[in-house]
Amino acid sequence: MATTALSPATETYRRSWVLDWLTTVDHKKIGILYIVNSFIFFLAAGILALVVRSELAVPGLQFLDERTYNQAFTMHGTIMVFLFIVPILSGFGNYIVPLQIGAPDMAFPRINALSFWFLPLGGILVFSGYLFGGAAAEGWTLYAPLSNGTYSSGVGTDLWLVGLTLIGTASILGAVNFIATIFKMRAPGMTLFRMPILVWTVLTTQVLILLATPVLAAGMIALFIDRNYGGSFFDPNAGGNPVLWQHLFWFFGHPEVYIVILPAMGVVSEILPVFTRRPLFGYRAFVFATIAIGLLSFSVWAHHMFTTGQVFLPFFSFMTALIAVPTGVKMFNWMATLWRGSITLATPMLFALGFLSMFLIGGISGVMLAEPPIDFHLQDTYFVVAHLHYVFFGGSVFGVFAATYYWFPKMFGRRLNERLGKIHFALHFIGFNLAFFPMHFLGIAGMPRRIADYSPDAGWTFWNLVSTVGAFLIAISILPFLVNLVATFINGEKAGDDPWEGNTLEWATSSPPPPYNFDKLPPIRSERPVWDLRHRHDAEHPADEGAVVEGAPS
Amino acid sequence: MSRLAARPRLRALLRVVAPLLVLVALAGCAMLPPTPETKQSKEVFVLYAIVLGVGAVVFVGVEGFILYSIVRYRRRDDRLPTQLHGNNTIELVWTAIPTVIVLVLFVLSTLTLNSIEARATSPRVNIEVNAFQWQWNFHYLDTDNDPTNDVSVTGTPAAPPVMVVPVGEPIHLILKSADVIHAFYVPQFLVKRDVIPVSEGRAPNTLEFTVSDVGTYAGQCAEFCGDLHARMTFRVQAMTRADYDAWYAAAASGATPAPSVSPGGTVLKITADHISYDVHALTAPANQAFTIEFTNKEAVSHNVAIYQGSTAIFHGEFITGPGTVTYSIKALPAGTYTFICDVHPIPDMTGTLTIK
Repeated sequence: MATTALSPATETYRRSWVLDWLTTVDHKKIGILYIVNSFIFFLAAGILALVVRSELAVPGLQFLDERTYNQAFTMHGTIMVFLFIVPILSGFGNYIVPLQIGAPDMAFPRINALSFWFLPLGGILVFSGYLFGGAAAEGWTLYAPLSNGTYSSGVGTDLWLVGLTLIGTASILGAVNFIATIFKMRAPGMTLFRMPILVWTVLTTQVLILLATPVLAAGMIALFIDRNYGGSFFDPNAGGNPVLWQHLFWFFGHPEVYIVILPAMGVVSEILPVFTRRPLFGYRAFVFATIAIGLLSFSVWAHHMFTTGQVFLPFFSFMTALIAVPTGVKMFNWMATLWRGSITLATPMLFALGFLSMFLIGGISGVMLAEPPIDFHLQDTYFVVAHLHYVFFGGSVFGVFAATYYWFPKMFGRRLNERLGKIHFALHFIGFNLAFFPMHFLGIAGMPRRIADYSPDAGWTFWNLVSTVGAFLIAISILPFLVNLVATFINGEKAGDDPWEGNTLEWATSSPPPPYNFDKLPPIRSERPVWDLRHRHDAEHPADEGAVVEGAPS
Repeated sequence: MSRLAARPRLRALLRVVAPLLVLVALAGCAMLPPTPETKQSKEVFVLYAIVLGVGAVVFVGVEGFILYSIVRYRRRDDRLPTQLHGNNTIELVWTAIPTVIVLVLFVLSTLTLNSIEARATSPRVNIEVNAFQWQWNFHYLDTDNDPTNDVSVTGTPAAPPVMVVPVGEPIHLILKSADVIHAFYVPQFLVKRDVIPVSEGRAPNTLEFTVSDVGTYAGQCAEFCGDLHARMTFRVQAMTRADYDAWYAAAASGATPAPSVSPGGTVLKITADHISYDVHALTAPANQAFTIEFTNKEAVSHNVAIYQGSTAIFHGEFITGPGTVTYSIKALPAGTYTFICDVHPIPDMTGTLTIK
């Protein structure tokens, strides 16, 4: 009786696979489109990062002028944040969330396709500045009044604004879709507190997107009016206030940090239990911590603005420090899950453990930056660059690769090669730390961010060179990954439905899943329905407390 | 069985961890800021050391725990570990731990903040810091309300300015921007403050510090401000009060530059707007004095300077628009010269001057 049978759609007519992918409304195909599209932008923005790091390797301007350098770091930041990390996590969410809640698809499949197709369009618009006199060069934060028509007259900035407004619209549509899906499409038995942690983190993330993105969109439209139609929202000469832009930007921008970190936390919380063969310690506490981070994220934006002299420091300092509490709770939960577990160090697990140890560093430097007197020294230096990369890269990107290795067998029915995966992880981990840890030293010594050049007398040369070497090592680490992808598609080991002994519903269907996902569902009596199913006859380890399995299909 | 098996593993772990600890200690040194050189920054340094110490303990504790767990609890057989879902007591305790840590740090940081942000009642040295794309002007305010005889230092990217201040007394800075947002930052003072263009009637940011030691300290703009952001450097030179007084008197006596304008034959016209010249190629007769009529249409400081190769022939007076200035140029031998804005040496503000 607890088994739900859904009839998979039959193919009524055949069409070419190109047309099929271009017109698909299947959440799984759209998820893969998201991931592939984001990965291409990741490679492009990664090349820009290498350009930036090469210029900074030694003092002097070697092969870029200042304007080109400024365009390179602006586009690097913009693409990485808006066209890689956020959408690739949305892609995994798109693929995995309906499977994990036992749904046949997203609530609004066509809106789902629409919000994906806005992304490449917006990305091309943002990039096309290079074809029309130069891309935006004001940093990904686009601070006014540097970004107004007087100081940045190029059309690149307008294209940036139009492209990102489009991407923002896509995010808002996607958020509505995710929220509707999670609240209305769950399978019978999938109560809120039986949802996998990834679903909880995606739900919280999408609520943040829904509340924060319109504020950024409003700001971008106001800036567009300032630039093109004589507006003066941010122009001090006409009574406007440039700091207002910073308020609007960071009211979006700080929740944005949690938009990219929460789903990665969700991924790690899916992987740790599977590779320790234990439930996540403190499931409910973890859910409440996720919600608490989401709520607090709207009261901390001005910690990016401590040095403006226009914000009430104690309030924002206090709220920022408070975020360390739910984050600390999560860290303890993960540690307790490892403790006395039965740990297998497969590649997804390695990346998940990389997330734990690297995100920790970003968390500690975040608490340092939350103290205004310390922030007065470190703000806008390379310390902030180090901090944000330990969160975005050490956190989210490690989470993305963990997710890739973990769910690749589900998506394509084949397992990525473990040996190549481990080489990828080792190079990635070492390269990441070489590239970004020395940035702490540089920032503490006083090197400002976003400078094209520095004096040989400043004493910053050695660590800059080390950082550049690390950046190239990260680039090299992508090669075994690409080789792995190709080799696996050609001749990869068949995965089967459940290669990792997973806990959640996506492992109860075939790999790859059929259209509309499930022929039948196992009973859902806990947050680990597939674990319950696997251990239903296990006398020594009965199914989870409260998980009464009845009528389970054999 | 597992305990015995764990021993050699532990020793191996220790062998890996010991050099790591040395590395962490070395990194710890590089994690300390520059020697603080002001009264305020010495307090910040103490706060920083405390926060860093707490952070280091958390770092070593958590990373150690993770490494230990990975080694100690590797999967050895098919037996399932205990299925532990949670424990309310433990979870309450570990919610309390970070709460207490951040509350203590918040109190400490707020005390430090109040102390370093305290303002002197009547500081003797008041300097208006005027930031512009892409340099600084330091304008020493005096009491006679006559700006023409004030000491004022303007830098160029090639020759950054020096702010001379006395040690042991509060220095009061008024931070004004002519264009975009900049930030005044001296690493050895462990402080920066944004220099924000404000609309009329709004007070600009201020910053106060008391330098403790004689010396010269490098500083630069810390808020990204456009093309030549990296070249917005300056220095702060701290000296004794007596030396400062002598410097100030000398600077004040020479602070009245008299631009001499004498009309010549050829008149070249250059207009600057949107940080760009309207012309990029000009011609003038050889061996004959001429004048340049330079119009600056925007509220950004510009000038026209003439170079042959890297040798400066002429530096025009800086003008903040809208306004016009006439430069007299002495007779030049035939050849190709470069005219450029000293403040904005970018392609848009560079041109070729042909003398024939």
